[in-house]
Amino acid sequence: MIVFISGGVRSGKTHIAEQYVQQIVSENDEAHYIATAKITDEEMRQRIIRHQHERSHHPLSWKTWEQPEKLHTIVNRFDKNDVILLDCLTNLLANELFADEFWHKEDSCLRKATSIYEAIRTLGKNSKALIIVSNEVFYNGVPEDAGTYHFMKMLGLLHQQIVSLADKAILAQNGVPLIKKERTKE
Amino acid sequence: MHFIVGGAFQGKRKWVKEYYQLNDCQQHIWCSGYETEFFLPHHKMTQTVIVFEGLEIFIRRTLYTDIMSCRNEWREAFRLWQLWENEKLERRVIWIGCDISQGIVPINEEERNWRDVTGWCYQELVKMCNRVDRIWCGLAERMK
Repeated sequence: MIVFISGGVRSGKTHIAEQYVQQIVSENDEAHYIATAKITDEEMRQRIIRHQHERSHHPLSWKTWEQPEKLHTIVNRFDKNDVILLDCLTNLLANELFADEFWHKEDSCLRKATSIYEAIRTLGKNSKALIIVSNEVFYNGVPEDAGTYHFMKMLGLLHQQIVSLADKAILAQNGVPLIKKERTKE
Repeated sequence: MHFIVGGAFQGKRKWVKEYYQLNDCQQHIWCSGYETEFFLPHHKMTQTVIVFEGLEIFIRRTLYTDIMSCRNEWREAFRLWQLWENEKLERRVIWIGCDISQGIVPINEEERNWRDVTGWCYQELVKMCNRVDRIWCGLAERMK
């Protein structure tokens, strides 16, 4: 099962995602947290500490994976007793796209986005549930500089592909989950 | 008229192509602001479906006048296309616009004016359209 949750900054996405994990996890399951942030400055370090602190007070015990890039390398390490929270797609894509000099080439960006999509699809298939957190960054027009343009285009593409694949798609606004898509059981 | 709005890279174009089944055989004009100029209805047109994509870019190009005349110009353009559509039952005018209203207020005056005029124009257009859809991640939500 795949649940996609997107929202603006401070919209409560992560909190909503953690609640979903809690609902889905049953007695013999394990909760996993795939963290994608790279520590780039003091603010980022504090932010990561705050998220870790919140998780440590959570009723669930989390196994944390630090995976700022190369998501595909861990996809086969999960099974049907694992509930995974991927937080967040935005970081993962940025880390992959800007890891080398080819971010100004669309075909290179597309290859990286496709690799992320394939990893997500496999994770969703292998696990009991995969909850993906991402960001809404699309309301300021089409950007002119090549880096932002490619980043937004690839993120938009991934959002569309993941939502199409997902069983549930949620837009978080002010801490309130707005359900945009819900697959009814056949 | 039908207005399709939503953030950048949300699949608006793809949705329109699928919904109206627009392919090479279908008689339509696809006029993209990212590639070409805007135009008003004229007598030489034989197509029944007109799509204007990148409305925010068409609007941006008309910002050389003051913003009030700009708004009036667009209201008139929407009205002319509405009249054209109403002349024949099979005609349909489709507008695709990127929502640029939810970022930080730009410091640059021209950028600010662009956002303002685009917001006003979208409101005018919504009044004149009989259908409005908002696209998010490829999913359409009908607003009108």
